Amino acid sequence: MKLSCALALTLLPLVVAASPIDKGKAFGNPAAPVTIELFSDFQCPSCRALHMDLLPNIMRDFVIPGKAYLVYKEFPLPMHNHSREAAAYACAAARVGKYEQVADVLFQNQPTWANDGKVFQTVASVLTPAEQKKVEMLAKDPAVLAEVQDDVQEGQVKRVNQTPTMIIIAHGKEYPIPGALNYNLLRGFLDGLAK
Amino acid sequence: MSSSSHKLFRIAAVVLRLGLGAVFGYAAWVKLREPWMLFAISVDAYHVLPEWGAVAVARTLPWFELALAVMLLTGIGKRISLPAASALLAVFFGLMVRSYARGEGIDCGCFGPGEAISPITLLRDGGLLAASLLLSVLAFRPLAAKRGDSVPVLSHSPAPVGNPQAE
Repeated sequence: MKLSCALALTLLPLVVAASPIDKGKAFGNPAAPVTIELFSDFQCPSCRALHMDLLPNIMRDFVIPGKAYLVYKEFPLPMHNHSREAAAYACAAARVGKYEQVADVLFQNQPTWANDGKVFQTVASVLTPAEQKKVEMLAKDPAVLAEVQDDVQEGQVKRVNQTPTMIIIAHGKEYPIPGALNYNLLRGFLDGLAK
Repeated sequence: MSSSSHKLFRIAAVVLRLGLGAVFGYAAWVKLREPWMLFAISVDAYHVLPEWGAVAVARTLPWFELALAVMLLTGIGKRISLPAASALLAVFFGLMVRSYARGEGIDCGCFGPGEAISPITLLRDGGLLAASLLLSVLAFRPLAAKRGDSVPVLSHSPAPVGNPQAE
């Protein structure tokens, strides 16, 4: 019994890592009653506002307590000339376990790199030299580029037509919520779903 | 207007009213079957009301829409329901145009979540508003509609006093 439990605990991270949804871009309890898929664009100002103002509250009140499972999805808009490159670096960083840090630094410094195009320099600031090399290489990997494109296509299927858009999934239903929004109302809505 | 064309006009007006009632009924049903907080988020996205206002609208508007739907479908109190529907649609349309012109890119919130304001939604709501206004005008001109007069009821011509041919 003990052996099987130990084996199960050992294999669990591998099972989770093998899940198609989790490539270091998902946070919280996968069995949570609510799943939040966040489609965003690193170069979009509203996504920056959501990431910096709203997301910490969502993490604190729902993701960390296990009420919600947050999944990041890339949705680089064609009008933003560096956003696909940023998305590729973020997906590459997810493969070395640094998605959150890279997303944070990209959004914090968005006005700068969006203007001068120095995306990798921004990303590199939160990576070790070894990680930098790996992320730089992975960002050009067709599998990573395909991952970005898969997210975009998934968004199109789910009728995402702007960023940011949260698709809230609970009780077998999907609720698309676009734009940066009022956290009190969102909290009330999520609380109702998480019960 | 001939009698047959007048009849057709009246049938068209009834169909239009029933259609409008069905639209209000569907809008109410879609909102009432989802958590009301979701509609509050849509209302709040227009940035015209404080948070408590958005909550109040989200809790009451679907019921008001349902009441309007019942009145429009049954034809009870047309002189109340049609102007009320027109006023409501005018407010919706105005807010949608304002939001679209500002490029806010928010959800319409008309029939639940997931429908961004676009030229199509504006055209649809504009069409509903035009239909509702037309029906409102007709609701206040019942004599013309019932008698089949070709002359608008407001422009009565004076009745002749005597018979000129008798002279």
